[in-house]
Amino acid sequence: MDFDDTPDEAAWRTRVRAFLEQSRPDPDDPRGWQAALYEAGFVGVAWPVEAGGRGGTLMQQAIVDQEMARLGLPALINLIGIGMCGPTVIMHGSADQKSRYLQRLLRADDLWCQLFSEPEAGSDLAALRTRAVREPGGGWRITGQKVWTTLAHLADYGILLTRTDPGVPKHRGLTMFVVDMSAPGVTVRPLRQMNGDAHFNEVFFDDVAIPDSERLGEPGDGWRVALTTLMSERLSLGGGGTGIGPKPEAVARHVAAHLGALSADRQALARQQLGRGYVAALGARYTGYRQLSRISRGELPGPEASAGKLSGTRSARDLTDLAVRVLGEDARVAGDIWQNAQAVLPGMAIAGGSDQVLRNIIGERVLGLPAEPRADKGVTFRESIG
Amino acid sequence: MNFDLDTEHLDLAAAAREFLSASASPAAARAALDGGAAVRPGREELVKSGFATITWPDSGGSVLHLAVVAEQAGRVLAGPSLVTYARAAVLLDGDEERLAGIADGSLAVAVVDDDGPVLDAAGATTFLALRDGALVCGPGEVTVRAPIDATRGLGDVALGETTVLVPDAAARWRRADRVGRTILAAEGLGAAACLLDMGVAYAGQRQAFGRAIGSYQAVKHMLVDVYVEVEQLRSLVWWAAWAADHAPGELPLAAAAAKAAAATTLEHAAETAIQVHGGAGFTWEHDAHLYWRRAKVDRFLLGDDTAAFDEVARLAMGAAS
Repeated sequence: MDFDDTPDEAAWRTRVRAFLEQSRPDPDDPRGWQAALYEAGFVGVAWPVEAGGRGGTLMQQAIVDQEMARLGLPALINLIGIGMCGPTVIMHGSADQKSRYLQRLLRADDLWCQLFSEPEAGSDLAALRTRAVREPGGGWRITGQKVWTTLAHLADYGILLTRTDPGVPKHRGLTMFVVDMSAPGVTVRPLRQMNGDAHFNEVFFDDVAIPDSERLGEPGDGWRVALTTLMSERLSLGGGGTGIGPKPEAVARHVAAHLGALSADRQALARQQLGRGYVAALGARYTGYRQLSRISRGELPGPEASAGKLSGTRSARDLTDLAVRVLGEDARVAGDIWQNAQAVLPGMAIAGGSDQVLRNIIGERVLGLPAEPRADKGVTFRESIG
Repeated sequence: MNFDLDTEHLDLAAAAREFLSASASPAAARAALDGGAAVRPGREELVKSGFATITWPDSGGSVLHLAVVAEQAGRVLAGPSLVTYARAAVLLDGDEERLAGIADGSLAVAVVDDDGPVLDAAGATTFLALRDGALVCGPGEVTVRAPIDATRGLGDVALGETTVLVPDAAARWRRADRVGRTILAAEGLGAAACLLDMGVAYAGQRQAFGRAIGSYQAVKHMLVDVYVEVEQLRSLVWWAAWAADHAPGELPLAAAAAKAAAATTLEHAAETAIQVHGGAGFTWEHDAHLYWRRAKVDRFLLGDDTAAFDEVARLAMGAAS
């Protein structure tokens, strides 16, 4: 047992660090920052060379992510594309799609979004209603609405999950496409989040034409394709949920600075809350190291990786709550990073698999508990929506 | 990074499991509680097996090795606690005669904390204590107290005539305390993991409203929350044991975190297991309460969880400022 890099990993880390430490990202040019990192060989590290990647290991990518987090460097703008859309194109795209899209995605020439959730299909994704109808010429026409689409307001392309056959059970009638976000009939409307930011959107498709060459996988095979996307999401969350919310060390520093202003009994309560949140955060961090160890050995993270997001979200909320409390009178007004963090974190328990869906996944795939019966099982989609 | 057990650890765990489960069990713990039957495997068998003395200087074992064994001991509610041997190994480092005495069974040791009834006092003849900063050793008068968990052998100790073994022993005592907390957490991990297994197995079989209760989210999610806590505790136990062996600077935080997490996780696991089992889980015949008893006692050993959380907070703030 050790926490050390292998010699290869150490050499890689030195190289990454040397580059990152002298980098000066321009906050107004996120595409340029990603492009510079790509040219240096630090984006898409584990992607195959023929996909524009470096043919490296997931561990090498994890080391890049660690070093960027350590230096507080801005995250890559094309995060959704790299983590989810690109891997889906790699697995299911045609040679033509791969050559047109992948390298440009890694260089942030094109930004990507993932068009899955809908007003009537969130956790129950396979219940989605956006219709794709085949035209006599072989192309497709899309009508429907997506929602919670991160980055859609900036994206050039998206991967789009649609219903092509409502006459079969819901998982079997889906088909995945690549959609050009500038195509006629695509309307993007930003949604304002409860913290005031606007990172996600509603996207409307009004009879949008998509050529058949932009299909990903076979018609009716969209669910399997979507599972690739969701598995890749798990891989891209390699830190075991420890990237969620403020760093526990930062909270401890903040609490230490404000503790003296509290009465003795309040100090004792604050230490209890800090201790509890900190232990949970350490638990999540070291569980993340176990996951990283498996990646270092060349294994893929399994469904147990969902536990990291679950616990990371919980400890981030507990620690952030304390950070706000120790602000005293200022805790009841806006204006600090901590008040913003407390307004952001409720979304973390919903995005990328709600806490409840993650618990179902762990309960069924890790603990082996029986699945919940589904009222729409074996029923065609058309029948299931009455 | 290789933060995982290797095959040697896994083999050790399998061997420990075989030895411990041959005598220790929830049934044995119930017998000890019911009629004062001897705690199993008991001092003699435990030292004879070699598992208890794994961290003795000439045994070549690490704290991580002992933690791996302790997890298995926790699963079957074995007694006396490996915490006692873990602390003795640190406190008596260099005292070959006494270490040999414990290892050959001629000395029955307990470590005296001054915060209440002493772990494994029952049956002990030699006591180690901290007096005015010195490590002392001597005989003592034990008054065994009415047990919540009989496997813990708690009793009040009135020390007799003691001799000073190490005059300036505060640092040694603190390290023993932290290694002890690590092993206590490892025993808690085993007990909590066993409770989780019990709950999952029952939830998969028990039918209500025409299906297994584990298919209901209300039951499933309770068990998942325990699973997440158990795996986090496992990570903290490994980290604390690794720190005890290789990174003494990290041990105070790691041991306090492991101690605190073990206390809350074992309690949560026990209460969840009882709840999942329904009325049967609340009976004397069912094993769940024997683990629940362990939880209700262990949380107060080597400082309570409130103190451990406080220590974590102080260390975190100290490191941050």
